[in-house]
Amino acid sequence: MSADFDPLRYRADFPLLARRVHDKPLIYFDNANTAQKPQAVIDAVDGYYRDYAANVARAVHSLGEQATAAYEGARDKLAAFLNAGGRDQLVLTSGTTQAINLVAYSYALPRLQPGDEILVTQMEHHANIVPWQLVAARTGATVKAAPVDADGVLQLDRFEAMLTPKVKLAGVAHVSNVIGTVNPVAEIARLCRARGVPLLVDGSQACPHQRVDVQAIGCDFYAMTGHKLFGPTGTGALWARREHLQAMPPFFGGGEMIRTVSFDGTVFADPPHKFEAGTPNIAGFIGLGAAIDYVQSVGLERIQAYEAGLLAYATRALQSVPGLRLFGRAPHKAAVLSFLIEGVHAHDVATLLDHEGVAVRSGHHCAHPLMQFFGVPATARASLSFYNTREEVDAFVRALDKVRRLLA
Amino acid sequence: MSALYRDIVLDHHRAPRRRGHLAAPSHACDGVNALCGDSLRLELRVEQDHIVDYAFRGECCAIATATASLLGERVLGLAVDAVAPLQQAFAALIAGGEADPALGDLAALAELASYPARRKCALLPWAALAAALAGTPRTTTEKDPT
Repeated sequence: MSADFDPLRYRADFPLLARRVHDKPLIYFDNANTAQKPQAVIDAVDGYYRDYAANVARAVHSLGEQATAAYEGARDKLAAFLNAGGRDQLVLTSGTTQAINLVAYSYALPRLQPGDEILVTQMEHHANIVPWQLVAARTGATVKAAPVDADGVLQLDRFEAMLTPKVKLAGVAHVSNVIGTVNPVAEIARLCRARGVPLLVDGSQACPHQRVDVQAIGCDFYAMTGHKLFGPTGTGALWARREHLQAMPPFFGGGEMIRTVSFDGTVFADPPHKFEAGTPNIAGFIGLGAAIDYVQSVGLERIQAYEAGLLAYATRALQSVPGLRLFGRAPHKAAVLSFLIEGVHAHDVATLLDHEGVAVRSGHHCAHPLMQFFGVPATARASLSFYNTREEVDAFVRALDKVRRLLA
Repeated sequence: MSALYRDIVLDHHRAPRRRGHLAAPSHACDGVNALCGDSLRLELRVEQDHIVDYAFRGECCAIATATASLLGERVLGLAVDAVAPLQQAFAALIAGGEADPALGDLAALAELASYPARRKCALLPWAALAAALAGTPRTTTEKDPT
Protein backbone atom coordinates (compact mmCIF):
# COMPACT_ATOMS: atom_id res chain seq x y z
CA MET A 1 0.00 0.00 0.00
CA SER A 2 1.34 3.38 -0.93
CA ALA A 3 1.91 5.17 2.35
CA ASP A 4 1.10 8.58 0.90
CA PHE A 5 -2.37 7.59 -0.25
CA ASP A 6 -5.05 8.71 2.16
CA PRO A 7 -8.48 7.38 1.12
CA LEU A 8 -10.19 9.57 3.72
CA ARG A 9 -9.03 12.63 1.84
CA TYR A 10 -10.89 11.43 -1.26
CA ARG A 11 -13.95 10.09 0.57
CA ALA A 12 -14.81 13.66 1.47
CA ASP A 13 -15.26 14.35 -2.26
CA PHE A 14 -18.13 11.84 -2.48
CA PRO A 15 -21.23 13.19 -0.69
CA LEU A 16 -23.10 9.89 -0.81
CA LEU A 17 -20.41 8.04 1.14
CA ALA A 18 -21.37 10.01 4.24
CA ARG A 19 -24.87 8.52 4.42
CA ARG A 20 -26.07 5.80 6.74
CA VAL A 21 -27.97 2.61 5.92
CA HIS A 22 -30.05 0.88 8.61
CA ASP A 23 -28.52 3.39 10.99
CA LYS A 24 -24.98 2.16 10.24
CA PRO A 25 -22.29 4.00 8.30
CA LEU A 26 -22.54 2.99 4.66
CA ILE A 27 -19.78 0.65 3.49
CA TYR A 28 -20.11 0.73 -0.27
CA PHE A 29 -18.54 -2.43 -1.70
CA ASP A 30 -20.54 -2.58 -4.93
CA ASN A 31 -18.23 -0.51 -7.08
CA ALA A 32 -18.02 -3.05 -9.91
CA ASN A 33 -21.77 -2.61 -10.27
CA THR A 34 -21.64 1.16 -10.31
CA ALA A 35 -19.33 3.68 -8.64
CA GLN A 36 -20.39 6.68 -6.58
CA LYS A 37 -19.92 10.19 -7.92
CA PRO A 38 -17.63 12.94 -6.64
CA GLN A 39 -19.05 16.41 -6.05
CA ALA A 40 -17.19 17.65 -9.15
CA VAL A 41 -19.29 15.35 -11.35
CA ILE A 42 -22.55 16.32 -9.66
CA ASP A 43 -21.61 19.99 -10.07
CA ALA A 44 -20.78 19.55 -13.76
CA VAL A 45 -24.17 17.96 -14.51
CA ASP A 46 -25.93 20.54 -12.38
CA GLY A 47 -23.99 23.39 -14.03
CA TYR A 48 -25.04 22.33 -17.51
CA TYR A 49 -28.72 22.31 -16.59
CA ARG A 50 -28.46 25.56 -14.62
CA ASP A 51 -26.25 27.64 -16.86
CA TYR A 52 -26.03 26.52 -20.47
CA ALA A 53 -28.48 23.71 -21.25
CA ALA A 54 -28.86 23.57 -25.02
CA ASN A 55 -28.59 21.02 -27.78
CA VAL A 56 -25.20 20.35 -29.33
CA ALA A 57 -23.86 20.74 -32.85
CA ARG A 58 -26.83 22.60 -34.24
CA ALA A 59 -27.52 25.82 -32.31
CA VAL A 60 -25.53 28.92 -33.21
CA HIS A 61 -26.64 30.79 -30.12
CA SER A 62 -24.32 31.19 -27.14
CA LEU A 63 -25.82 28.43 -25.06
CA GLY A 64 -25.54 25.98 -27.92
CA GLU A 65 -21.92 26.86 -28.53
CA GLN A 66 -21.10 26.51 -24.86
CA ALA A 67 -22.88 23.15 -24.62
CA THR A 68 -21.18 21.88 -27.77
CA ALA A 69 -17.78 22.97 -26.51
CA ALA A 70 -18.35 21.23 -23.16
CA TYR A 71 -19.71 18.06 -24.75
CA GLU A 72 -16.97 17.76 -27.37
CA GLY A 73 -14.48 18.77 -24.69
CA ALA A 74 -15.55 15.69 -22.75
CA ARG A 75 -14.81 13.57 -25.83
CA ASP A 76 -11.32 15.09 -25.94
CA LYS A 77 -10.78 14.30 -22.28
CA LEU A 78 -11.89 10.71 -22.79
CA ALA A 79 -9.74 10.43 -25.93
CA ALA A 80 -6.70 11.59 -23.96
CA PHE A 81 -7.63 9.32 -21.04
CA LEU A 82 -7.63 6.24 -23.31
CA ASN A 83 -4.78 7.51 -25.53
CA ALA A 84 -7.23 7.18 -28.41
CA GLY A 85 -4.88 8.60 -31.04
CA GLY A 86 -7.52 10.96 -32.38
CA ARG A 87 -10.99 12.02 -31.32
CA ASP A 88 -12.43 10.63 -34.56
CA GLN A 89 -11.68 7.12 -33.23
CA LEU A 90 -13.94 7.58 -30.23
CA VAL A 91 -17.70 7.03 -30.59
CA LEU A 92 -19.73 8.13 -27.58
CA THR A 93 -22.36 5.58 -26.55
CA SER A 94 -24.76 4.95 -23.68
CA GLY A 95 -22.28 2.50 -22.20
CA THR A 96 -20.33 -0.66 -22.89
CA THR A 97 -23.40 -2.61 -23.95
CA GLN A 98 -24.26 -0.18 -26.72
CA ALA A 99 -20.62 -0.02 -27.76
CA ILE A 100 -20.38 -3.80 -28.17
CA ASN A 101 -23.74 -3.96 -29.94
CA LEU A 102 -22.50 -1.31 -32.36
CA VAL A 103 -19.56 -3.53 -33.28
CA ALA A 104 -21.79 -6.61 -33.45
CA TYR A 105 -24.35 -5.07 -35.81
CA SER A 106 -22.25 -2.65 -37.82
CA TYR A 107 -18.95 -4.50 -38.05
CA ALA A 108 -19.63 -8.20 -37.50
CA LEU A 109 -23.08 -8.74 -38.98
CA PRO A 110 -22.21 -7.74 -42.58
CA ARG A 111 -19.03 -9.85 -42.50
CA LEU A 112 -20.11 -13.10 -40.84
CA GLN A 113 -20.73 -16.20 -42.95
CA PRO A 114 -22.16 -19.59 -42.02
CA GLY A 115 -19.51 -21.61 -40.19
CA ASP A 116 -17.61 -18.55 -38.97
CA GLU A 117 -16.78 -18.27 -35.29
CA ILE A 118 -16.61 -15.49 -32.72
CA LEU A 119 -14.22 -16.34 -29.91
CA VAL A 120 -14.85 -15.03 -26.39
CA THR A 121 -13.81 -16.32 -22.96
CA GLN A 122 -15.64 -18.19 -20.26
CA MET A 123 -15.41 -15.18 -17.92
CA GLU A 124 -17.28 -12.71 -20.12
CA HIS A 125 -20.15 -10.53 -18.96
CA HIS A 126 -23.39 -11.23 -20.83
CA ALA A 127 -22.81 -7.93 -22.68
CA ASN A 128 -19.83 -9.55 -24.40
CA ILE A 129 -21.70 -12.80 -25.17
CA VAL A 130 -25.30 -12.06 -26.11
CA PRO A 131 -24.70 -9.47 -28.88
CA TRP A 132 -22.44 -12.01 -30.61
CA GLN A 133 -25.05 -14.72 -30.21
CA LEU A 134 -27.67 -12.47 -31.80
CA VAL A 135 -25.59 -11.73 -34.89
CA ALA A 136 -24.38 -15.34 -35.03
CA ALA A 137 -27.99 -16.54 -35.10
CA ARG A 138 -28.66 -14.31 -38.12
CA THR A 139 -25.62 -15.43 -40.06
CA GLY A 140 -25.04 -19.07 -39.20
CA ALA A 141 -21.90 -18.25 -37.24
CA THR A 142 -21.22 -19.66 -33.77
CA VAL A 143 -19.85 -18.25 -30.52
CA LYS A 144 -17.04 -20.21 -28.86
CA ALA A 145 -15.62 -19.64 -25.37
CA ALA A 146 -12.01 -20.17 -24.37
CA PRO A 147 -11.80 -21.79 -20.92
CA VAL A 148 -10.47 -20.45 -17.64
CA ASP A 149 -8.58 -22.54 -15.07
CA ALA A 150 -9.61 -23.25 -11.48
CA ASP A 151 -8.09 -19.96 -10.32
CA GLY A 152 -10.16 -18.04 -12.86
CA VAL A 153 -7.20 -17.34 -15.17
CA LEU A 154 -7.78 -17.48 -18.93
CA GLN A 155 -6.02 -20.49 -20.44
CA LEU A 156 -4.08 -18.55 -23.02
CA ASP A 157 -2.77 -21.64 -24.82
CA ARG A 158 -6.34 -22.84 -25.28
CA PHE A 159 -7.41 -19.40 -26.47
CA GLU A 160 -4.58 -19.44 -29.00
CA ALA A 161 -5.48 -22.94 -30.17
CA MET A 162 -9.08 -21.85 -30.67
CA LEU A 163 -7.99 -18.91 -32.85
CA THR A 164 -8.49 -20.91 -36.03
CA PRO A 165 -9.09 -19.43 -39.50
CA LYS A 166 -12.83 -19.78 -38.77
CA VAL A 167 -12.61 -17.05 -36.12
CA LYS A 168 -13.66 -13.69 -37.55
CA LEU A 169 -13.68 -11.68 -34.33
CA ALA A 170 -12.56 -12.11 -30.72
CA GLY A 171 -14.02 -10.48 -27.60
CA VAL A 172 -12.20 -10.47 -24.27
CA ALA A 173 -12.82 -8.71 -20.95
CA HIS A 174 -9.92 -6.55 -19.85
CA VAL A 175 -10.92 -7.25 -16.22
CA SER A 176 -13.51 -9.81 -15.08
CA ASN A 177 -16.47 -8.23 -13.32
CA VAL A 178 -17.04 -11.37 -11.22
CA ILE A 179 -13.57 -12.41 -10.07
CA GLY A 180 -11.36 -9.47 -10.96
CA THR A 181 -8.97 -11.38 -13.22
CA VAL A 182 -6.91 -8.97 -15.32
CA ASN A 183 -6.44 -10.50 -18.74
CA PRO A 184 -3.18 -10.00 -20.68
CA VAL A 185 -4.98 -8.06 -23.38
CA ALA A 186 -1.83 -6.79 -25.14
CA GLU A 187 -0.60 -10.36 -25.50
CA ILE A 188 -4.05 -11.48 -26.65
CA ALA A 189 -4.06 -8.63 -29.18
CA ARG A 190 -0.69 -9.84 -30.54
CA LEU A 191 -2.06 -13.38 -30.94
CA CYS A 192 -5.14 -12.06 -32.73
CA ARG A 193 -3.23 -9.67 -34.97
CA ALA A 194 -0.85 -12.44 -36.06
CA ARG A 195 -3.89 -14.29 -37.38
CA GLY A 196 -5.71 -11.27 -38.76
CA VAL A 197 -8.52 -11.57 -36.21
CA PRO A 198 -9.94 -8.25 -34.98
CA LEU A 199 -10.12 -8.05 -31.19
CA LEU A 200 -12.68 -6.24 -29.06
CA VAL A 201 -11.71 -5.59 -25.44
CA ASP A 202 -14.48 -5.01 -22.90
CA GLY A 203 -12.91 -2.39 -20.67
CA SER A 204 -15.84 -1.76 -18.32
CA GLN A 205 -14.02 -2.94 -15.23
CA ALA A 206 -10.52 -1.84 -16.18
CA CYS A 207 -10.92 1.92 -16.63
CA PRO A 208 -11.68 2.70 -12.95
CA HIS A 209 -8.67 0.77 -11.66
CA GLN A 210 -5.70 1.18 -13.97
CA ARG A 211 -4.34 3.34 -16.76
CA VAL A 212 -5.69 2.17 -20.11
CA ASP A 213 -3.80 2.87 -23.33
CA VAL A 214 -5.79 1.44 -26.22
CA GLN A 215 -2.97 1.95 -28.71
CA ALA A 216 -0.48 0.16 -26.49
CA ILE A 217 -2.92 -2.74 -26.09
CA GLY A 218 -3.10 -3.04 -29.85
CA CYS A 219 -6.73 -4.13 -30.04
CA ASP A 220 -9.20 -3.13 -32.76
CA PHE A 221 -12.10 -2.10 -30.52
CA TYR A 222 -12.22 -1.02 -26.89
CA ALA A 223 -15.59 -0.61 -25.14
CA MET A 224 -15.98 1.25 -21.86
CA THR A 225 -18.62 2.72 -19.58
CA GLY A 226 -18.72 5.98 -17.65
CA HIS A 227 -20.78 5.12 -14.60
CA LYS A 228 -18.20 2.69 -13.21
CA LEU A 229 -15.61 5.43 -13.73
CA PHE A 230 -17.39 7.74 -11.24
CA GLY A 231 -19.33 9.41 -14.07
CA PRO A 232 -23.08 9.55 -14.75
CA THR A 233 -25.08 6.54 -15.92
CA GLY A 234 -25.87 6.40 -19.62
CA THR A 235 -22.35 7.35 -20.73
CA GLY A 236 -19.69 5.25 -22.40
CA ALA A 237 -17.65 4.91 -25.51
CA LEU A 238 -16.38 2.69 -28.26
CA TRP A 239 -12.82 3.28 -29.32
CA ALA A 240 -12.14 1.75 -32.72
CA ARG A 241 -9.44 1.90 -35.34
CA ARG A 242 -10.09 4.59 -37.90
CA GLU A 243 -10.23 2.19 -40.83
CA HIS A 244 -12.92 0.14 -39.09
CA LEU A 245 -15.09 3.15 -38.30
CA GLN A 246 -14.75 4.43 -41.85
CA ALA A 247 -15.79 1.07 -43.29
CA MET A 248 -18.65 0.43 -40.88
CA PRO A 249 -22.19 1.48 -41.89
CA PRO A 250 -24.19 3.54 -39.37
CA PHE A 251 -26.04 1.57 -36.69
CA PHE A 252 -28.74 4.11 -35.83
CA GLY A 253 -30.01 6.67 -38.28
CA GLY A 254 -31.37 10.11 -37.52
CA GLY A 255 -30.24 13.61 -36.82
CA GLU A 256 -26.68 14.53 -35.92
CA MET A 257 -25.18 11.68 -37.96
CA ILE A 258 -25.75 13.12 -41.45
CA ARG A 259 -24.22 15.69 -43.74
CA THR A 260 -27.10 16.00 -46.22
CA VAL A 261 -30.40 14.17 -46.45
CA SER A 262 -32.62 13.80 -49.48
CA PHE A 263 -34.96 11.11 -50.73
CA ASP A 264 -32.45 10.38 -53.48
CA GLY A 265 -29.79 9.54 -50.94
CA THR A 266 -28.27 10.65 -47.69
CA VAL A 267 -24.66 11.51 -47.03
CA PHE A 268 -23.47 10.52 -43.60
CA ALA A 269 -21.23 12.51 -41.33
CA ASP A 270 -17.68 11.30 -40.77
CA PRO A 271 -16.85 9.12 -37.77
CA PRO A 272 -17.42 9.39 -34.89
CA HIS A 273 -20.62 11.42 -35.47
CA LYS A 274 -21.79 8.94 -38.10
CA PHE A 275 -22.57 6.60 -35.18
CA GLU A 276 -24.16 9.18 -32.89
CA ALA A 277 -27.71 9.67 -34.14
CA GLY A 278 -30.03 11.83 -32.11
CA THR A 279 -29.46 14.17 -29.19
CA PRO A 280 -26.83 12.58 -26.99
CA ASN A 281 -26.61 12.42 -23.19
CA ILE A 282 -25.06 15.89 -23.09
CA ALA A 283 -25.19 16.43 -19.33
CA GLY A 284 -23.95 12.90 -18.74
CA PHE A 285 -20.86 13.31 -20.90
CA ILE A 286 -20.06 16.69 -19.39
CA GLY A 287 -20.23 14.88 -16.05
CA LEU A 288 -17.98 12.13 -17.39
CA GLY A 289 -15.48 14.75 -18.46
CA ALA A 290 -15.44 15.99 -14.86
CA ALA A 291 -15.04 12.40 -13.63
CA ILE A 292 -12.00 11.94 -15.85
CA ASP A 293 -10.47 15.18 -14.59
CA TYR A 294 -11.12 13.94 -11.06
CA VAL A 295 -9.60 10.49 -11.56
CA GLN A 296 -6.58 12.03 -13.30
CA SER A 297 -6.09 14.38 -10.36
CA VAL A 298 -6.04 11.40 -7.98
CA GLY A 299 -3.79 9.48 -10.37
CA LEU A 300 -4.48 6.06 -11.90
CA GLU A 301 -1.10 4.68 -10.85
CA ARG A 302 -1.71 5.72 -7.25
CA ILE A 303 -5.22 4.28 -7.35
CA GLN A 304 -3.92 0.98 -8.73
CA ALA A 305 -1.18 0.72 -6.08
CA TYR A 306 -3.55 1.56 -3.23
CA GLU A 307 -6.22 -0.87 -4.42
CA ALA A 308 -3.64 -3.67 -4.77
CA GLY A 309 -2.76 -3.23 -1.11
CA LEU A 310 -6.42 -3.08 -0.11
CA LEU A 311 -7.16 -6.23 -2.12
CA ALA A 312 -4.33 -8.14 -0.43
CA TYR A 313 -5.59 -6.98 2.96
CA ALA A 314 -9.22 -7.92 2.18
CA THR A 315 -8.21 -11.30 0.75
CA ARG A 316 -6.31 -12.19 3.92
CA ALA A 317 -9.20 -10.98 6.07
CA LEU A 318 -11.78 -13.03 4.16
CA GLN A 319 -9.63 -16.13 4.32
CA SER A 320 -9.92 -15.92 8.11
CA VAL A 321 -13.72 -16.39 7.96
CA PRO A 322 -14.54 -20.08 8.60
CA GLY A 323 -16.35 -21.79 5.72
CA LEU A 324 -15.75 -18.94 3.30
CA ARG A 325 -14.88 -19.89 -0.27
CA LEU A 326 -13.24 -17.30 -2.52
CA PHE A 327 -13.78 -17.52 -6.27
CA GLY A 328 -10.94 -16.37 -8.49
CA ARG A 329 -7.32 -16.39 -7.37
CA ALA A 330 -5.65 -14.91 -10.40
CA PRO A 331 -2.15 -13.60 -9.62
CA HIS A 332 -3.05 -10.41 -11.47
CA LYS A 333 -6.47 -9.25 -10.36
CA ALA A 334 -8.46 -6.12 -9.57
CA ALA A 335 -10.04 -5.53 -6.14
CA VAL A 336 -13.06 -7.78 -6.71
CA LEU A 337 -13.84 -10.56 -4.22
CA SER A 338 -16.51 -13.12 -5.09
CA PHE A 339 -17.32 -15.50 -2.27
CA LEU A 340 -19.78 -17.85 -0.63
CA ILE A 341 -20.10 -18.99 2.96
CA GLU A 342 -20.71 -22.72 3.34
CA GLY A 343 -24.41 -23.34 3.89
CA VAL A 344 -25.49 -19.74 3.29
CA HIS A 345 -27.16 -18.47 0.12
CA ALA A 346 -25.61 -15.39 -1.49
CA HIS A 347 -28.86 -13.40 -1.25
CA ASP A 348 -29.10 -14.03 2.49
CA VAL A 349 -25.51 -12.78 2.81
CA ALA A 350 -26.36 -9.60 0.88
CA THR A 351 -29.58 -8.91 2.80
CA LEU A 352 -27.91 -9.40 6.18
CA LEU A 353 -24.82 -7.39 5.23
CA ASP A 354 -27.12 -4.57 4.15
CA HIS A 355 -28.42 -4.52 7.69
CA GLU A 356 -24.89 -3.85 8.83
CA GLY A 357 -24.60 -1.02 6.31
CA VAL A 358 -22.51 -3.06 3.86
CA ALA A 359 -23.59 -2.95 0.21
CA VAL A 360 -22.43 -5.97 -1.82
CA ARG A 361 -23.91 -7.57 -4.89
CA SER A 362 -25.33 -11.08 -4.88
CA GLY A 363 -26.40 -13.18 -7.83
CA HIS A 364 -24.91 -14.32 -11.09
CA HIS A 365 -23.30 -10.95 -11.95
CA CYS A 366 -24.51 -11.21 -15.57
CA ALA A 367 -22.02 -14.03 -16.13
CA HIS A 368 -23.95 -17.31 -16.19
CA PRO A 369 -21.20 -19.25 -18.01
CA LEU A 370 -18.65 -18.41 -15.30
CA MET A 371 -21.13 -19.37 -12.56
CA GLN A 372 -21.67 -22.69 -14.34
CA PHE A 373 -17.91 -23.19 -14.48
CA PHE A 374 -17.65 -22.71 -10.71
CA GLY A 375 -20.73 -24.91 -10.23
CA VAL A 376 -22.69 -22.37 -8.19
CA PRO A 377 -25.89 -20.48 -9.02
CA ALA A 378 -24.75 -17.26 -7.40
CA THR A 379 -22.02 -15.63 -5.36
CA ALA A 380 -21.76 -12.59 -3.16
CA ARG A 381 -19.32 -10.01 -4.46
CA ALA A 382 -17.44 -7.25 -2.71
CA SER A 383 -15.82 -4.85 -5.18
CA LEU A 384 -13.59 -2.16 -3.77
CA SER A 385 -12.54 1.29 -4.87
CA PHE A 386 -9.87 3.78 -3.88
CA TYR A 387 -12.28 5.46 -1.47
CA ASN A 388 -12.67 2.28 0.55
CA THR A 389 -10.55 1.70 3.64
CA ARG A 390 -9.06 -1.12 5.68
CA GLU A 391 -11.38 -0.14 8.52
CA GLU A 392 -14.33 -0.79 6.21
CA VAL A 393 -12.86 -4.19 5.32
CA ASP A 394 -12.58 -4.97 9.05
CA ALA A 395 -16.23 -3.98 9.64
CA PHE A 396 -17.27 -6.04 6.61
CA VAL A 397 -15.50 -9.14 7.94
CA ARG A 398 -17.07 -8.65 11.39
CA ALA A 399 -20.49 -8.42 9.70
CA LEU A 400 -19.76 -11.57 7.69
CA ASP A 401 -18.91 -13.39 10.87
CA LYS A 402 -22.29 -12.39 12.29
CA VAL A 403 -24.00 -13.69 9.14
CA ARG A 404 -22.13 -16.96 9.41
CA ARG A 405 -23.06 -17.44 13.05
CA LEU A 406 -26.70 -16.64 12.31
CA LEU A 407 -27.23 -18.84 9.27
CA ALA A 408 -24.45 -21.39 8.77
CA MET B 1 -29.22 -8.65 13.10
CA SER B 2 -32.37 -8.30 10.98
CA ALA B 3 -36.08 -8.41 11.67
CA LEU B 4 -36.52 -10.52 8.54
CA TYR B 5 -34.46 -13.37 9.97
CA ARG B 6 -36.58 -13.90 13.07
CA ASP B 7 -36.02 -16.88 15.30
CA ILE B 8 -38.87 -18.86 13.79
CA VAL B 9 -37.54 -18.23 10.28
CA LEU B 10 -34.01 -19.20 11.36
CA ASP B 11 -35.36 -22.31 13.06
CA HIS B 12 -37.12 -23.48 9.88
CA HIS B 13 -34.02 -22.59 7.83
CA ARG B 14 -31.71 -24.62 10.09
CA ALA B 15 -34.08 -27.53 10.62
CA PRO B 16 -36.57 -27.60 7.76
CA ARG B 17 -39.66 -29.74 8.40
CA ARG B 18 -40.79 -32.21 5.76
CA ARG B 19 -37.61 -31.97 3.76
CA GLY B 20 -37.18 -34.98 1.49
CA HIS B 21 -39.20 -37.17 -0.87
CA LEU B 22 -42.62 -38.73 -0.86
CA ALA B 23 -42.78 -42.40 -1.76
CA ALA B 24 -45.81 -41.94 -3.99
CA PRO B 25 -46.61 -38.29 -4.71
CA SER B 26 -49.82 -37.58 -6.57
CA HIS B 27 -48.67 -34.07 -7.47
CA ALA B 28 -45.23 -32.46 -7.87
CA CYS B 29 -43.63 -29.31 -9.19
CA ASP B 30 -40.14 -27.83 -9.59
CA GLY B 31 -39.93 -24.20 -8.54
CA VAL B 32 -36.85 -22.62 -10.08
CA ASN B 33 -35.65 -19.04 -9.83
CA ALA B 34 -32.68 -19.39 -12.14
CA LEU B 35 -31.50 -15.82 -11.88
CA CYS B 36 -31.23 -15.88 -8.14
CA GLY B 37 -30.28 -19.52 -7.89
CA ASP B 38 -33.19 -20.91 -5.87
CA SER B 39 -34.40 -24.34 -6.87
CA LEU B 40 -36.83 -26.60 -5.01
CA ARG B 41 -38.96 -29.62 -5.77
CA LEU B 42 -42.27 -29.83 -4.00
CA GLU B 43 -44.21 -33.11 -3.75
CA LEU B 44 -47.75 -33.69 -2.52
CA ARG B 45 -50.08 -36.54 -1.80
CA VAL B 46 -53.67 -35.48 -2.32
CA GLU B 47 -56.52 -37.74 -1.24
CA GLN B 48 -60.21 -36.85 -1.32
CA ASP B 49 -59.34 -33.22 -2.15
CA HIS B 50 -57.12 -32.84 0.88
CA ILE B 51 -53.33 -32.50 1.13
CA VAL B 52 -52.39 -35.52 3.18
CA ASP B 53 -48.62 -35.44 2.66
CA TYR B 54 -46.04 -32.83 1.69
CA ALA B 55 -42.31 -32.85 1.10
CA PHE B 56 -39.78 -30.51 -0.47
CA ARG B 57 -36.11 -30.47 -1.17
CA GLY B 58 -33.68 -28.25 -3.01
CA GLU B 59 -31.05 -25.59 -2.74
CA CYS B 60 -32.55 -22.32 -1.65
CA CYS B 61 -31.88 -19.24 0.39
CA ALA B 62 -32.99 -19.14 4.02
CA ILE B 63 -36.18 -17.26 3.15
CA ALA B 64 -37.35 -19.79 0.53
CA THR B 65 -36.36 -22.76 2.69
CA ALA B 66 -38.10 -21.44 5.79
CA THR B 67 -41.21 -20.59 3.78
CA ALA B 68 -41.33 -24.05 2.23
CA SER B 69 -40.97 -25.59 5.67
CA LEU B 70 -43.62 -23.39 7.29
CA LEU B 71 -45.90 -23.91 4.31
CA GLY B 72 -45.79 -27.68 4.69
CA GLU B 73 -46.74 -27.38 8.36
CA ARG B 74 -49.64 -25.13 7.47
CA VAL B 75 -51.18 -26.92 4.50
CA LEU B 76 -50.96 -30.48 5.72
CA GLY B 77 -54.52 -31.72 6.08
CA LEU B 78 -55.90 -28.66 4.32
CA ALA B 79 -58.57 -28.87 1.63
CA VAL B 80 -57.12 -28.17 -1.81
CA ASP B 81 -59.67 -25.36 -2.29
CA ALA B 82 -58.31 -23.53 0.75
CA VAL B 83 -54.80 -23.11 -0.73
CA ALA B 84 -55.57 -20.25 -3.14
CA PRO B 85 -57.17 -17.93 -0.53
CA LEU B 86 -54.27 -18.64 1.82
CA GLN B 87 -51.76 -17.88 -0.93
CA GLN B 88 -53.51 -14.57 -1.59
CA ALA B 89 -53.44 -13.74 2.12
CA PHE B 90 -49.70 -14.45 2.23
CA ALA B 91 -48.99 -12.36 -0.88
CA ALA B 92 -51.00 -9.50 0.64
CA LEU B 93 -49.15 -9.81 3.94
CA ILE B 94 -45.65 -9.59 2.46
CA ALA B 95 -46.77 -6.69 0.28
CA GLY B 96 -47.44 -4.79 3.50
CA GLY B 97 -51.00 -5.86 4.31
CA GLU B 98 -52.54 -7.12 7.53
CA ALA B 99 -51.78 -10.60 8.81
CA ASP B 100 -54.67 -13.01 8.23
CA PRO B 101 -54.83 -15.23 11.34
CA ALA B 102 -55.29 -18.20 9.00
CA LEU B 103 -51.62 -17.87 8.00
CA GLY B 104 -50.41 -19.05 11.41
CA ASP B 105 -46.62 -19.12 11.74
CA LEU B 106 -46.23 -18.02 8.12
CA ALA B 107 -46.96 -14.53 9.42
CA ALA B 108 -43.34 -14.57 10.65
CA LEU B 109 -42.38 -13.53 7.11
CA ALA B 110 -44.35 -10.26 7.30
CA GLU B 111 -41.09 -8.30 7.38
CA LEU B 112 -40.69 -9.07 3.65
CA ALA B 113 -42.86 -5.99 3.19
CA SER B 114 -39.59 -4.06 3.66
CA TYR B 115 -37.65 -6.29 1.23
CA PRO B 116 -39.33 -6.12 -2.19
CA ALA B 117 -36.35 -7.79 -3.86
CA ARG B 118 -36.68 -10.86 -1.63
CA ARG B 119 -40.45 -11.44 -1.91
CA LYS B 120 -39.98 -13.75 -4.86
CA CYS B 121 -37.96 -16.05 -2.59
CA ALA B 122 -40.89 -16.58 -0.21
CA LEU B 123 -43.40 -16.77 -3.07
CA LEU B 124 -41.50 -19.60 -4.78
CA PRO B 125 -42.76 -22.46 -2.55
CA TRP B 126 -46.28 -21.08 -2.81
CA ALA B 127 -46.07 -20.93 -6.59
CA ALA B 128 -44.72 -24.48 -6.65
CA LEU B 129 -47.61 -25.62 -4.46
CA ALA B 130 -50.23 -23.97 -6.67
CA ALA B 131 -48.57 -25.25 -9.83
CA ALA B 132 -48.33 -28.79 -8.43
CA LEU B 133 -52.05 -28.76 -7.66
CA ALA B 134 -52.76 -27.41 -11.15
CA GLY B 135 -50.68 -30.15 -12.74
CA THR B 136 -47.95 -27.78 -13.97
CA PRO B 137 -44.51 -29.42 -13.64
CA ARG B 138 -42.36 -26.28 -13.41
CA THR B 139 -42.78 -22.71 -12.24
CA THR B 140 -40.88 -19.60 -11.27
CA THR B 141 -41.50 -16.34 -9.43
CA GLU B 142 -38.89 -14.42 -11.40
CA LYS B 143 -40.32 -12.05 -13.93
CA ASP B 144 -37.66 -9.43 -14.40
CA PRO B 145 -33.96 -9.95 -14.82
CA THR B 146 -32.08 -9.01 -11.69
